[in-house]
Amino acid sequence: MKKNPLYEILNLKFNYNHNFSLEVPELIINKGTCTGFTGPNGSGKSTLLRMLALLLQPEKGSVKINGKNLYGNNNTDLTISMLFQDPYLLKRNVFDNVAYGLKLRKGSRDLKSKVSDALQLVGLEDKKISNKKWFELSGGEARRVALASRLILKPDVLILDEPTVSLDSRSAILIKDAVEYFIKQFNTTLIISSHDTVWLNSLTANILRINNGRITGAGYENIIQGPWYFDDKDLWIKKLDSKQKIFALNPPFETSSAILNPSDIVLSTDYKRGISAQNILNGKITAMTVTKEQKVNVKIDISGISLTSTVTQNAVKTLHLIPGMDIWVIFKTTALKWQ
Amino acid sequence: MDYIINGFITGIKLLITGDQETYSAIFVTLKASSFSILLSLAIGIPAGFLIGYKDFPGKKQIRAITDTLLALPTVVVGLLVYAFISRKGPLGEFGLLFTIPGIVIAQIILVLPIVISLTATGIEGLDSRLKDTLKTLGAKGRQIAVTSIAEAKYAVFAAAVTAYGRAISEVGVSMMIGGNIKWDTRTITTTITLETGKGEFSMGIALGLVLLIIAFTVNWSLIFLKRRA
Repeated sequence: MKKNPLYEILNLKFNYNHNFSLEVPELIINKGTCTGFTGPNGSGKSTLLRMLALLLQPEKGSVKINGKNLYGNNNTDLTISMLFQDPYLLKRNVFDNVAYGLKLRKGSRDLKSKVSDALQLVGLEDKKISNKKWFELSGGEARRVALASRLILKPDVLILDEPTVSLDSRSAILIKDAVEYFIKQFNTTLIISSHDTVWLNSLTANILRINNGRITGAGYENIIQGPWYFDDKDLWIKKLDSKQKIFALNPPFETSSAILNPSDIVLSTDYKRGISAQNILNGKITAMTVTKEQKVNVKIDISGISLTSTVTQNAVKTLHLIPGMDIWVIFKTTALKWQ
Repeated sequence: MDYIINGFITGIKLLITGDQETYSAIFVTLKASSFSILLSLAIGIPAGFLIGYKDFPGKKQIRAITDTLLALPTVVVGLLVYAFISRKGPLGEFGLLFTIPGIVIAQIILVLPIVISLTATGIEGLDSRLKDTLKTLGAKGRQIAVTSIAEAKYAVFAAAVTAYGRAISEVGVSMMIGGNIKWDTRTITTTITLETGKGEFSMGIALGLVLLIIAFTVNWSLIFLKRRA
């Protein structure tokens, strides 16, 4: 990769209410790239993203942008805009919400057509929605209006914190399409945290895992959160809703999170007997995406938990995998690593 | 009972016929209260914003003082301002005693805590996500302040209405600082006090009605705006 660092983070530390600390010894984000963050709730993703958006100051360490340490003088020529997990709309109509950031920049021309374009980008029709007040919008519309108010600024850095969480599938698809189109059109550096790892993986291979305030690794992996209960057979189990169980070996704590590499998950269209793997779970394929490495991420819902398996395109053809299909998910207890 | 009804009828007549003495009191009241409210808003809204928005050492103490001053008795304000602007006082040379500017100064001291305290409460009550949203959309300094105040506009308007209500209805300051001088510093409330003392109800009732109409108009405009929002 061409070395062109935009962010250089060194020895960053932030304590939150003495219960949680975020520590990032070193992190470099290059210009024009897309960086994804995954991790369980409360792992520190949002805190890190707010620091990258210059909204939160680290207690220790430095965050350099284009070689300049910004905290202290907080001046940059770059436009850095962040969409929060639960975005706030100003108490005015949609047009004024979307146009707000542009109006602040004096001399912005063609406001009307720019607002219209931004709304169109997120799948909203200007004429129908422009005059609607903030409280007349559905959750999905509000999130898309908030995204439009960021995209209209054509930011150099776009930071999205769980942009599709708790949205209906249509709104989520429209947001994803808008983000994908936008980063292709403009040389925007995208930093994104999402639980939708399949989508994240389709946007970038550069995915970092955060857990307990630490970057624990790169690349996408499944995280299975505890609690784990001790079973009679020297194994630990996690009970799922449909009486299915995930078996694991020796978690360090009952509440530990297990990491499962997507390549360690085997998919089968039939129930397999006489195999050594302890975990044979029934699920349904909810999404499939081609990765940057031309493999296929298959997202499977198993009684409320979501696992992703990475398979070859050949396997997809052979097994006739399609979304909505019932599938057996197989992995060994030893495939579960502990964080 | 008859004298109340007669007083009411005469009061209406005074208003309809444009009685000069009655209208002089109305004009003085509107002039003094309008100046005092405008100056109080000009000082109080930015001060309330800073107290509500910023975190700084001594913020809690300042809030405690402004909240305490909400219940400031008008006669105490009258006494203090009198002491300062009377001939013997440190500001005696400006000749403010028994003038409308004198009433305005005293009314500002009276209503400023209301504007500051209610604006600060409105700003503190804003959604915690607003600050970061404005920053991430590129707003800075004054732009953040103006938008935050606009977001809390109903709280700020309520502060203005409450403060105006206090300014037009107070009697202690107008009486002590204004001196109740006919055609000059006699206000609606001081006239009502004087006329009632004399047993003359008609002008008191006429002015009381005007006071009520002003209060209703201002409060109904607030209700109307809230409904529109």
